[in-house]
Amino acid sequence: MAEFTLDCMGEACPVPLMKCEKKMNELKVGDVLLVSIDHSCAMKNVPEWARTRGHNVEIEEVDDGEWEVIIEKTN
Amino acid sequence: MNEFFKKLGNQPIYKRLMKEPLTYVGGAVLLALFNIAHFGLFESGWGVSSALANWGAWIYQSFGGDVSSWSYFASEKAQQTLANGFWMDGGSIRNVGIILGALVCTLYASQFKIKKIKAVRQVVAAILGGLLMGYGARMAHGCNIGALFTAISSMSLSGWVFAIFLMAGAFIGSKLLAKYFM
Repeated sequence: MAEFTLDCMGEACPVPLMKCEKKMNELKVGDVLLVSIDHSCAMKNVPEWARTRGHNVEIEEVDDGEWEVIIEKTN
Repeated sequence: MNEFFKKLGNQPIYKRLMKEPLTYVGGAVLLALFNIAHFGLFESGWGVSSALANWGAWIYQSFGGDVSSWSYFASEKAQQTLANGFWMDGGSIRNVGIILGALVCTLYASQFKIKKIKAVRQVVAAILGGLLMGYGARMAHGCNIGALFTAISSMSLSGWVFAIFLMAGAFIGSKLLAKYFM
């Protein structure tokens, strides 16, 4: 399993979600994607989207207004 | 002090109320209650962009411009609002309240951050988008608040017409977004 990163710092909705959706297509099952986000509404819609797709999601608050969303591709 | 706020931020009730976003239903109920209160207190619906047009007029006037000949500000009521000034315009105060309220909320949630500008494209898109939205909102006599939210909740058909064209605009906008920002 490989680890990928996606830098969405400074990007506003819905760009982080669109980038995330595109990037997830490149991943194989079991791979992990680390998405860096500093837009609070993307911190809601990116995990929501990933969870509805059935992936494992974890959110980490890195700093004030900065998050890392960790998505493990499960299907 | 910092330690105290870190601890407070991890407290479950504080976290739920101040840090995590409201559910959609929670937000909808609050909006409905505030809308009813607004209508009852001020006898007019909630709007945002008409006050912003006044801000534009005041800024223009402060540079020596004159808007009294513009048809948009031609009515006696509009002239009176402009003459009374910022502090007598309820819509302007309400808009300042929205901005200050949002700031206070991000501070309470410890999520305040000054974001870096990633590309010139973002600046161009923000300025162009803002101008188009502002101009469109005034031509339509309202934005997604005055002409959509307030109109629909007041049982006005115009709100639904606005919604159809809003969807069309959002569709075109998202296609452009995918083309230039992906």
